[in-house]
This record gives sequence, structure tokens and C-alpha cells, in this order.
Amino acid sequence: MEVLRVENLCKVYGKGETRVEALKNVSFSMEKGEFAAVVGESGSGKSTLLHCIGGLEQPSSGHVYLDGRDLFALRENQRTIFRRQNIGFIFQSFQLVEELTVEQNIVFPLLLDGRKPDEARVEELLWILGLMERRHHLPSQLSGGQQQRVAIGRALIAKPMLVLADEPTGNLDSKNSQDVVELLHRASRHYRQTVLMITHNVHLTDAVDRVLQVSDGELRDWGGMQE
Amino acid sequence: MKRYLDLIPISAKRHRRQSLMTRLCIFLAVFLVTAIFGMADMELRSQRQQAIMDGGNWHIAFRDITEEQAARIAAWPEVKTSSWYGVVNYDCDEGYTLSGIKTAICGADPAWMGMFPAVQVEEGSFDAEGSGVLLTENARARLDVQVDDFIQLYTPDGRVLDLQVTGFVTNTAMLDHEDAFGLVMNTQTFRSYFSGDTAQDADSVYYVQFSPLCRILQVVESIKTELHLTDAQVFPYGKLLGLMGQSDDPLMLRLYLTAAVLAVLVATAGILMIASSLNSNIAQRISFFGLLRCLGATRKQVARFVRLEALNWCKTAIPLGLAAGTALVWVLCSLLVKLSPTYFAGMPAFGISGIGLTCGVVIGLVTVLLAARAPAKRAAKVSPLCAVSGNATPVSPVRRAANTRLFRVDTALGVRHATASKKNFFLMVSSFAFSIILFLAFNMAIDFMHQSITPLRPYSADLSIISADQTCSIPPELGQHLAEDPVVKRVYGRMFAYGIPATIDGQEGTVDLISYEINQFGWASGSLLEGSIDGALNGNGLLALYGNGTTRHTGSTVTADFGTGTQTLTVSGVLSDCPFQSEPGVEIFICSEETFRTLTGQDGYTILDLQLNADATDADVEAIRTQAGSGTTFSDDRRSNSEAIGAYYSFALFVYGFLSVIALIAVFNIVNSISMSVSARVRQYGAMRAIGMSSHQLMRMVAAEAATYSLFGILVGCAVGLLANWFLFRITVTANWGIPWYIPWAALGLIVLLVAFSAALAVRAPSQRIRRMSIVETIHAE
Repeated sequence: MEVLRVENLCKVYGKGETRVEALKNVSFSMEKGEFAAVVGESGSGKSTLLHCIGGLEQPSSGHVYLDGRDLFALRENQRTIFRRQNIGFIFQSFQLVEELTVEQNIVFPLLLDGRKPDEARVEELLWILGLMERRHHLPSQLSGGQQQRVAIGRALIAKPMLVLADEPTGNLDSKNSQDVVELLHRASRHYRQTVLMITHNVHLTDAVDRVLQVSDGELRDWGGMQE
Repeated sequence: MKRYLDLIPISAKRHRRQSLMTRLCIFLAVFLVTAIFGMADMELRSQRQQAIMDGGNWHIAFRDITEEQAARIAAWPEVKTSSWYGVVNYDCDEGYTLSGIKTAICGADPAWMGMFPAVQVEEGSFDAEGSGVLLTENARARLDVQVDDFIQLYTPDGRVLDLQVTGFVTNTAMLDHEDAFGLVMNTQTFRSYFSGDTAQDADSVYYVQFSPLCRILQVVESIKTELHLTDAQVFPYGKLLGLMGQSDDPLMLRLYLTAAVLAVLVATAGILMIASSLNSNIAQRISFFGLLRCLGATRKQVARFVRLEALNWCKTAIPLGLAAGTALVWVLCSLLVKLSPTYFAGMPAFGISGIGLTCGVVIGLVTVLLAARAPAKRAAKVSPLCAVSGNATPVSPVRRAANTRLFRVDTALGVRHATASKKNFFLMVSSFAFSIILFLAFNMAIDFMHQSITPLRPYSADLSIISADQTCSIPPELGQHLAEDPVVKRVYGRMFAYGIPATIDGQEGTVDLISYEINQFGWASGSLLEGSIDGALNGNGLLALYGNGTTRHTGSTVTADFGTGTQTLTVSGVLSDCPFQSEPGVEIFICSEETFRTLTGQDGYTILDLQLNADATDADVEAIRTQAGSGTTFSDDRRSNSEAIGAYYSFALFVYGFLSVIALIAVFNIVNSISMSVSARVRQYGAMRAIGMSSHQLMRMVAAEAATYSLFGILVGCAVGLLANWFLFRITVTANWGIPWYIPWAALGLIVLLVAFSAALAVRAPSQRIRRMSIVETIHAE
């Protein structure tokens, strides 16, 4: 079942001599439970692609359909609510809320949505993430790997259709990086969530179902495994 | 870029908004200090000028001293100038006359003229050696005399002194009021004529002006010791000494303490504003300093960078603050000169206040350097790892989590943002609180002003024509005729019936009956306690006066024979006060002119008061005097009215000026502080928006943060502000006039509302700014 469809996505920055085409007619789609990686060199446009898919950045043209809904046909406020209910974000620098504990950070999107967190679900996630003992700790009391696990928990708590991860292992060592990818893999398999991950690390693409390469704003679908 | 410090202006350009907000904060603090100290300086100058105009530019008067003692005092190194001064007929009731007009005579040395700038030689000169006299201006036209003419002074002992006029001097308010002339002659001549006269000041006062740089009271003590003078022989000019900071009078000492407390409060407010701003600015760029460390900058270099950056902000902010503060002082001084041009003629419209400028520079510069120390140290301690870990953004280390059980998560986060860093919370709350503390502390000055300075009442007359024998002898036609004069704005007369035996509410007593016309009834309505004015204005009711040992109410009755047979009248209203006083045991009742005429059969006025238009000249007044005729006493109060207006304007303008500046600074400071606080968390807000925080929730979070600062600021500000108000009120108003302290509800409500309004206003702009920024831009913002 198709969850994400990107159609002719273009993003242009600047004008005249400073004009840069970050994305050029990018089109692809993802199925439910699919785990894909986007690779590419720095400045190739992969972060821009992720931002546009997540509704964080308005594309110059093209469409992003999530579960059949055109993201940019929604008004700003509607898009915000849609995002918090259907898209989970994981950032390279974690972006945890320093003033909230591990547990509060994880349930944060639900609280923003005015929903009461499901205790069992929270317990389950904490257990999967290996953060049971740390649930009342503040981010400043955690290691980088633990902080990224909290960020993954936050991305998964609302059971979003799509999880977008922007270089989630960029600040982590190889052991923690492997853990993070395993958790994302598990999310796609166990919870049937679609995961799109940007990474520089080609070794991490072993676990994904599909590899997409962005080069000079153009997307190339490598299918199953990058050689 | 030749050296690493050249990065400072480049960094300022990159962080234009943060840099601008910090500069704005320094500017506001310097503006506050410069304006308040500058205004205080100008107010002191204006008060000093008033004191010199009112009482002369002398510091100590010695009485009953010998010529030898006077000579020794004059030779004292700290004595700048001195003069003998004697006066006869000061109260104009001893029988000295010129052509039948009361005349006060004074004898003084030439130096005295310099000590009394209010007495200016208009024409001719002071005869220091001979027996010539200076005559007051009002006598020139009325006696038709010129310089070198001779005049004859009649003394109560029957002597007739032929005196040659050598010049003319300005009138004084007292002589105008008494409608009297004044004569000034040298001490030698004065003593030759009047040394045996009864007046106590005839030959015994020696005015001394000291150098303003010496400690006058200490010098006076040494003079007293060396010349064996008693306390009774030494009279200080308390007001002037007090304004020079040279008084040991308990009232002045209390005022010095008040000024010191207010000065410390203003300085502290300025320091807190700058410290809070710098703390916030540096805190949000910790990762940048980490980068500098990562690239090889030593801790010392980072600290120097921060300090120089702070000085770079001062480069524009301090001069602008000084300029704005000085401009405000100029505006107030110009207003003062415009409102009371004759009284403040000597006041410089574009005066520079050295004290204001110095305080502004010192407080601005020193505070910036001191406030930069802590962030500089903090920045220098940043680990180089912070730059590379990407995890160096927290404004301050968080030790406690937000309480999401009590509040919604956005509200809880806002509250937590405010309270996360103790230092930031303390500085922000203090900064908010100080606006309230300053406002309440300075508000006490309004009570002080109302007690110490009597404003000109609306019924104050410029000229009064008074029946010489206090009867109703002034024909009403005179009033009607004068009312037609174009220079006369208003004419209102009163008829008096004094000491009429009467039965008041069944008890024997004595009453003074006074008539009012429509203007006076209008002014009296402002002090109506009960009943109505209308019963007296349009009927035959009476207005009673509250107090004076009796309590009359509406319906009280007065039965008396005022001249046309016994009649009973009813009180239709009660006034809290009136401009007249009666003899002890005599009650005042007020009625309409028609009622007065019916009751007494009298038709004329006892007093006719006149208010003049601003363009009325001395010649116009002279013409009115001529119309009044010789059977009346003429009183000219224009000069004393102008002095009263001047004194009130001077004080009121500066007091309200202080309060307005404080209120203005409070608004700007709060708006700027919230904006800075939001800027410090832009990246965090970006991440929150990315994971689904709506604009409304974002605004609520910022509002919760602003509300937390405001709430604690208001609580602390009100508590400390009321304490400061109570303390200052007690040592100034209560100690002098015995008036008990009260909670200044109006001022309290006003400043609390202003702080709350400013905080609400402060939330909008930064929330909208974040909303307008793209989420990606926000996340990547530094």
C-alpha cells in the first residue's frame, strides 16, 4: 500500500546569479512499512528533499502526498497538526527539549496534540529503546546514543505513517549508529511504519529495503541494495 | 581581517538582531540614568535659582555683631562676599510714607545688590558713597519722579527726610501685595537716619555668601568659636544651603537620604537592565565561543573577545543614550521656561548636566564591563567539544524538568524556560521588578510636592481692590466697569458682614456672612461635601463650612438680624474649605449676592478680585489702580502668583517627567527582554515546530514565559516598591507634615497594568517573527 508519493518536486533557492536548483523534478513513492535510505554528497539536496517531504519547507513546485493527502494543499496550521499526527522526525543533533525528561520528551507530540499518552505504549517504547532506567532523566544526563534513542521514541510515539530521519547517526559512534538503524528497521517491520533515512554512511544501507541517491538535485532509485 | 578581534564587527553584522537588542538595552539604561540624573540636576538648579530669587544668594546671616566682627568675617578666606543689611517698616505698618504711600526702607552695602538678583537696578545706579537712594519702579510713575529728583520721606516720629533718587529698582512681590514703595540706600546713610528706630533689623544683620566649594557649616562653626558668637546670632538660609547639599537641617538630611535611595535605585535598575541583556546575549552564543576555542583561541582571548564586543556595543549605545537623555532634559527645561518665562528666565534651555552625563557614561561603561565579566568567564570555559558535538545550545544547564501535570505542555515549557536558569530568572525578574520599584519610589514625590508646594488656586486673583475700612463700600458699578476692560479676564466681588450675632441650630453664636457670585460658586462646587450649591446660588440658602469646631449639615438653620430684621435661613450645602478664615468662634456662611443684599440692605462690595489676561501690562494695572480710587487698598499679586506657578511647574514637571521616563523605560525594557529571551531559543522553537507545535501553542509558550517573569516581577516589585514608598514617604511626608502613609493604589494599579500590558505586547512580535521564519531556518538558526 502506497503511503508516500512525491511528484515532480522542485526547489529553487535564490535568483539570478545566486540561483541554485536544490531539487529537480524529483518523483518517487514508498510503500507502507518500507525502510529507505537517501544517500548523496554534501549539498546534493538530500536534506532539502527530507524537509520538503516533512512539510518543513515549501517546494518551488511539485506535490507531496502522504496517505493520499497533498501536504502543501493544507494551510500552515492544518499542516502542523497533520505533521505531528502522521510524521515523526529524527534529527542529527537530536533536538530534544532540554527542560523535559526522557519520558516527557517521548510523549511530547501527543501532549501537543492534546492526547493522553497510552501508558502501555510508552512502557513498550521505553523498553524497546532501552531507556526504562532513564525515563526520568533529563537529556543533559544522557549520552549521545541515548539521546538519539529518545528522539526515535519521540518520532514513533504517535504511530506516524512516515518517519523521517536526517542523518540520525551523524553524531554517534559505530555501535550506537548500528543500534539506531536497528531500531528504525524494527519500526518499519514491527510497527509497519515507513522510514526514510538520510545517511552518509553506506554501511548503514545494508539494513534498508531501498536506496535512493540524490546528486545535484536529481534522484536516482537504486532499488534493493547499493553496490 | 588582520587580527582575531576584527571578527567582532563581522559577528555583530551576522547577529544583527541580537546585537541591536543588546545595544537597545544599553541605550535604555544609559538613557534612564542620564535623563533621571540630568533632570534631578536641572531641578536642583531651578530650585536653587528660585531660592536665590525668593530669598537672595546668601548663606548665613549674622545678627547683632560689631563692625569689627563683621570685618573679621569678611576677611575669612572662605567668604566670597558679604553685606550689611538693615530694614525699617518691612511689614509696611510702621507709618513710613512717600506721598502717603506705605514705604519700606532698607540700607545695604553695594555687595547686597549682587546677593539679591530679584532686586535689579532698572535705571541709574546705587549710591555707595553718598546719601542718594534707589526707589522701586512702582513709585516712578505714581510719584512722577526721575533720577536726580528729590523725594520726601515721612517717618512716624514726624521727621521729613529729603532724599535724592539715584535710580530705580524692580518691585518685590511683597511690596506689590502691600501696594507699597521701597527705598534702598547705603548702610552709612541708612544708619544715619534710622539707627535709633524701633525696627529690630535696623542696623544689625550681616549677610554672608561663602564659596560654594567649602564646607559652609564647618566654617560657620569656626567663625562662631573664634568670634564667640551664640547660636541665636547665626541664621542659615536653610533652603539654599539644603539645595547646595550643605545643610544639617533634619528635613534636608532626610531629603538627602531620599535622593540617595532614589539614585541607588535608578543606578541599580540601569545595572540590572544591562546585566540581564548581556547575560542573555552571551548565553545564546556559547557554541560560537566553543568554536573559537576549537580553532585555538585561548580562554583569555575568548574573554577579551567578549569584553571588546561589549565595549563595541557601548560605542554607539552610550552616546545615543546620553544624547536622548540630554534631549529629554532640554525638552523639560524649555517647557519650564515657556510655562513660566519670567521666573525661569535664567534657566538654560539647552543646559548640559555634567552629573547626568557622567552618571550615564559611568553606569553604562562600568556596568557593561562588569556585566561582561561573568559571560566572558563563562564563554572562556566553553569546551571546544561544544562546537563539534552540535549539542551546545542550551541557554543554561537544566536541572529540573517542566511540570506537565499542572499545566499544558506548552505552558509548562514556557514557565520552565523562564525559571530554568536561576541567574537569568533573577536578572529578568529584578529588571521587571525594578520598573515597579522605581515607579512606586518616585511616586512618593507627588505626595511630597502636594504638601510642600501650594499650586495656584483657580480663584487666586491677580489684583484685589479692598475696601479701606472693610465695609461694603466699593460700588458695584466699578466691578461692571472693570469687567469691560479688555485686559481683565474675570472680575468677582465679595460682600462681607462680620461678627453678626446669630442663633445657629438653636444655639447662640456669631457668624461672618460672605456673598459669592457665579464664578466663586463654581469654584466652591469642587469642595462641596454635602447638599448642593444650587440652593445658595439660585435661592436664599446658605453654604456652611465644615470643621472649625462645629459640624453643620444640610438643613441646619441660622437666625440673625443682618440689618433688615431677623430672618431664618437654611443651610443647603456644606463645603470642606474656603479661601477665608474667621476669628475663633465665628462661623462662616456663604450666600448669593442677591440674598446678601436682601439680608443686609448693603449694595457695595468689600473686595473686588480681578484676574488679568496674560498680555496685561504694568500700565494697564496702573489704569485699574486709578479707577479703584483712593478710598481702597490696592493689592497686586501678579508677581507672587507667577512665583507660585513657577515653583509648582518646576517641581511637577520634573516629578511627572521622572515617572513618565520610568514608565517608558519599563515598557521598552520588558518588550526588549522578552524578545531577547525568545531569540535565545529560536533553534529550540524550530525543533518544536518541526515535531508539531502549532503557532498558537508557540505563542502560548512565549506568553507563559513572559507571564512568569511578569508575575514574579510584579510580586517582588510591589512588595519592595511599597516598602520603598513607605520608607521614603515616612522620612519625607510623614516626618514633616504628620500625614500617615497610605497604599498608593492608583500608582500601584497603573504600573502593574503597564507591566502586564508591556508583557502582553512583548509576546506578539517575537511569536509572529518565529512564525514567519521557515522551520528549517529556525532549526539552523544560531
